[in-house]
Amino acid sequence: MSTQTVIRSQNSWLALPQNIWRSVFRNPLPNSDYGRSSTSFSNFFLHIHPVKVHRHSLKATYTWGLGLMASFLFLILVVTGILLMFYYVPSTTQAYDRMLDLRGTVAFGIFLRNMHRWSAHAMVAVVFLHMCRVFLTGAYKPPREFNWVIGVFLFLITLFLSFTGYLLPWDQLAFWAITVGTSIAGYAPFVGKDVRFLLLGDSTVGQEALLRFYVLHVAVLPVVLTGLVTIHFWRIRKDGGLAKPEEEETGTTSPASVSGGLVEAPMTMAVAAGAAASAGAATLPKRSFGIQGLVRGPLVKVGSIEDRTLFSWPNLFQAELLVFVISVAAILVVSLFFNAPLEEPVNVMHPPNPAKAPWYFLGLQEQVSYSAFWGGVGVPTIEVLLLLLVPYIDRKQVGVGKWFGRERLLANTLFMTFAVINVVLVVIGTFFRGANWEFVSPW
Amino acid sequence: MIKNPTKPTTDGSPEDMNRRRLLSWLSGVGLCGSAIIAAASNLVFIKPRATYGQPNRFAIGKPEDFPSGARISLDTRRVCIVREGDKVGAISTTCTHLGCIVGVSGTGFACPCHGSHYDQDGFVTGGPAPRALSWYQVTLAPNGDLYVDKDNEVEAGTYLKV
Repeated sequence: MSTQTVIRSQNSWLALPQNIWRSVFRNPLPNSDYGRSSTSFSNFFLHIHPVKVHRHSLKATYTWGLGLMASFLFLILVVTGILLMFYYVPSTTQAYDRMLDLRGTVAFGIFLRNMHRWSAHAMVAVVFLHMCRVFLTGAYKPPREFNWVIGVFLFLITLFLSFTGYLLPWDQLAFWAITVGTSIAGYAPFVGKDVRFLLLGDSTVGQEALLRFYVLHVAVLPVVLTGLVTIHFWRIRKDGGLAKPEEEETGTTSPASVSGGLVEAPMTMAVAAGAAASAGAATLPKRSFGIQGLVRGPLVKVGSIEDRTLFSWPNLFQAELLVFVISVAAILVVSLFFNAPLEEPVNVMHPPNPAKAPWYFLGLQEQVSYSAFWGGVGVPTIEVLLLLLVPYIDRKQVGVGKWFGRERLLANTLFMTFAVINVVLVVIGTFFRGANWEFVSPW
Repeated sequence: MIKNPTKPTTDGSPEDMNRRRLLSWLSGVGLCGSAIIAAASNLVFIKPRATYGQPNRFAIGKPEDFPSGARISLDTRRVCIVREGDKVGAISTTCTHLGCIVGVSGTGFACPCHGSHYDQDGFVTGGPAPRALSWYQVTLAPNGDLYVDKDNEVEAGTYLKV
């Protein structure tokens, strides 16, 4: 087919659907290495990924897909949350009735509420597990210290998002959990009382508090979370991808290979540019994708350096799709079989006995039953500060990128001790505490 | 910014450098200062000047509504009215631990949330509560109504003679 025929056929009306399609998707489904690179590189939704990804980062048993799972759960929460907003009114006289409406009259109302509630629970758990994964594989070490710090803030915001959402149904559980929770804030030194007043907009939990928690829950915190997640993702790329053991690092830092990469990179770029102009992608020389994969460090593989990376298309995208499908399916199944709890409407005169916070705060509530200040403010603050400082204290590049590295025995043991203590406190608070917070046996 | 090549506005002399540094320093301070003030004004904005909850001073009824020995908990007001002989007092029923409503029990007050116990006068006898329950000022209005003022905390054991 001559060039002229091509142009004429593209200009005919019959080619309209095809022309529209091609204007949206610039690249056909790739069947060559060059196509695989440019699909990842030029698609808005794919370009946050590297063109090529290390085999180690793709191992399911290394990451368990936990970070992805957390972001997919957040996506489910945003979608279901926006849908719920169409029916919810943040008013003390209406909120509870709207909950009943979701259950009784709104199509799929109960199902969407279930999805929202269970995704929220799952997100807290998954974000915590993701943090454990990153710690136990030593993945927070330089140059990834700051991304760990962002991660800690993401964990805290996840908890706060869940906490603010907890008040919205305006049932007994909501009211008393928030009464207890905001009182804990009141124990913070100096600013505690002011923070509590700012949160509640009043001296007790009431209409003002409901409105404030609503605004925080649907606008302020999701925006902050989205912003931090964006930076979190961005820095994964800028810090050289997921942490991997040194022996598996793709680049070697010896000067010879660096200069090799630098010398040859412009050439490959020229080849790629020339190739892009011509239509025959299949005839491209191998490895012309290299420069697009260059993000940080001497990652361009030229010559005889062993390449342990795979194309993101399809390897990484398939893996991500799998995690997405698993996350959505799990939430759908759980929402089908278990309804989100809704207790009696708020009765400000009669706290339920015992008045329990959501499960992930029961460790805190258990601590608080010993000392309001130390349990609710002192110890959690110390724990968060330790988390934030960990990557700046423990900077030795050993045991990175593998689970339970023997070189990291001390750090891992300390972390696991803290994690297990908190889990045990949650279990005690959930199953072993009855009326008046007395110790009871669940059996 | 050079308008006339023969007469440059900046000549790179030490005085010129100092002026430039001072100007950039001033702009930096101005910008950061404005940002801080803007952030602070947002805090001022979200701190309510008026609240819409219950008033803190309210009537509870006539003295004869509370017979001697009565311990009547007004849960909506979060206060317990105590009458002993011709004396009336008001004890807060908001737990000093985490703000739950304490219930009147045989030995005084008990909190359902974290198991704090108080005696008849509101002093802590057990549990995580850090301090005693507050007492509020009780006054008798000219029309014969008793008023409790929750903005006016008084010493434990302060009664009003009626």
